[in-house]
Amino acid sequence: MTSSAGMTKRAAPVLACIGLLVVWQVASLALKNDSFPTAIGAIRAIPDILGDKESLINILASLRRMTMGFGAAVLVSIPLGLLMGRSAAVAAFFNPLLMVIYPVPKAALMPIIMLWLGVGDITKTLVIFLGVSLPVIYHSFEGAKAVEEKMLWSGAAMGLSPMQRLVRIVLPAALPEILTGCRTGLVLALITMITSEMIARQSGAGNILFNALDMGQYDTVFAMIIIVGAMGICLDAIFERVRARLVRWSEPQFDMPLSFS
Amino acid sequence: MRVRQNGRGSNDAPHGCENDSLSGRLLAKLVPLNPRASGTEDGMTVLSARSSEWVRPVTQQGPASAIIEIDRVSQVFQTSARKDHVALSDISLRIEERAFVSILGPSGCGKSTLLYIVGGFVSPTSGAAKMKGQAIKGPGPDRGPVFQEFALFPWKTVLGNVMYGPRQQGIRAAEAEAQSRALIEMVGLKGYENFYPKELSGGMKQRVALARTLAYHPEVLLMDEPFGALDAHTRTRLQNDLLNIWERDRKTVLFVTHSVDEAVFLSDKVVMMSKSPGRIRQVIDIDLPRPRRRNELLLDTRYQKYVVDIERMFDESDDGGVPA
Ligand SMILES: Nc1ncnc2c1ncn2[C@@H]1O[C@H](COP(=O)(O)OP(=O)(O)OP(=O)(O)O)[C@@H](O)[C@H]1O
Ligand SMILES: [Mg+2]
Repeated sequence: MTSSAGMTKRAAPVLACIGLLVVWQVASLALKNDSFPTAIGAIRAIPDILGDKESLINILASLRRMTMGFGAAVLVSIPLGLLMGRSAAVAAFFNPLLMVIYPVPKAALMPIIMLWLGVGDITKTLVIFLGVSLPVIYHSFEGAKAVEEKMLWSGAAMGLSPMQRLVRIVLPAALPEILTGCRTGLVLALITMITSEMIARQSGAGNILFNALDMGQYDTVFAMIIIVGAMGICLDAIFERVRARLVRWSEPQFDMPLSFS
Repeated sequence: MRVRQNGRGSNDAPHGCENDSLSGRLLAKLVPLNPRASGTEDGMTVLSARSSEWVRPVTQQGPASAIIEIDRVSQVFQTSARKDHVALSDISLRIEERAFVSILGPSGCGKSTLLYIVGGFVSPTSGAAKMKGQAIKGPGPDRGPVFQEFALFPWKTVLGNVMYGPRQQGIRAAEAEAQSRALIEMVGLKGYENFYPKELSGGMKQRVALARTLAYHPEVLLMDEPFGALDAHTRTRLQNDLLNIWERDRKTVLFVTHSVDEAVFLSDKVVMMSKSPGRIRQVIDIDLPRPRRRNELLLDTRYQKYVVDIERMFDESDDGGVPA
């Protein structure tokens, strides 16, 4: 790759962000609507939020719940998905359950969970857990199902027990697919995090956002949207680096650009 | 760009005759040479001209020398199209220790299925396969498969793949690594230890698959058309290499192939199968001297006669057989 092509690739996301902000600024100046602050106004509000101790505690509480929900979901979903992919009986048992849960927006379950568990951390973490689980289960399941039979046979011939084959062959072989699911799960974790805080208004980034909305502080609302968006981008970028490192062995060797130049 | 086009790079071991001393030396390090290795050519003794008859061999030297016994094995598959599909019908076969036995037959006659049964990956519908007198109940490190699909572990490097078996058997990392490096050199892949499978050509992957299986010292090698997917040149080279390795090590080999030349060139016995249902049609002893050299053998009239005879039988079975 030439260095100029590399530069373009690096600069592209930055340019896209700047472009978006410019469009926003122009649009809000043109519309002159109170509930649509300018980009500059929103950006100015960011330091106020991040400088405020109360807000920071809220945001950190959100991140903590998200991490816990995501982590627990991954820990449960990967083994479950792998087992389902390799055992028809396990798949037959869980598939109908998952089919029922799949189309239900997890936030819709929140009122019931709130009734049972209150409006605290447990409820919100549980909702995040549910939101993350399904894509991770699904991708782990598909990944495990696609593992080449002869690879497992080779392992069996070397003396690996069924459990060892699951952990030492199915897991690594399905890892690219699993991580694709986790990446989707990470974004969903962020979404469910905000949604849960919108429903159970008590703490968190979502809480700041919707309080500001109630009070008509539109700069703050949009600043929070930017902050949450930036959090999403950063988390995704970090995850993508980890992922790329873990599955370097599987990345396509030659990419075939649909080059127009 | 690290991937080379075909087979090995310039620093790799040469093949053919010059290879002998090299792989010999390496093998001597790796596998204690078998004292009986260069001895008798007894190979396998029984064979039933018709698979349903179980003929006791005249020259049998006692049951101890048969390492694998396949006794009236049948395999019926439930298929969606036809109700029951008889893939193997009443197969009986004895394979003597240290014999190189090829299974030859038309596509779909059940060669792979037979190999999988011996490997313990598939259990037969009826009949039994035995290894050293014990019924085969599942896979085990005494029988090492080399699949046509390679089935390498893509997340492991060449070295990681080859070390996998020894590590599983509890050999210390340093020792396993040393052995594996020697094996990788033996199959002509020195310098590629840290490559991932996706960075290798088909022929190179096949070599890794062979090394990976040899690394855990199975008593029986089960090879399913290992060279089927390769170009003619690589194929010839790997045949030579396999023969060199085998003539020193003398493991028992069960080798599935489509190629008559390959079967005659490599084997002590050729088991010819016919199709629909899969049966053993004939077993032919290949009485050619070892060590075999390709260039000598191709000129040998006995070799040519084997090939021609077997090819003729092949054609007959094609004519008589039910269409695929
Ligand atoms: N899992 C299976 N389910 C149903 N039928 C099967 C299955 N495996 C094999 N068969 C059938 O059994 C027969 C023998 O298959 P097998 O793969 O052993 O043939 P083969 O001799 O190895 O053929 P080839 O030379 O093409 O590899 C085929 O007719 C195939 O359709
Ligand atoms: Mg086959």
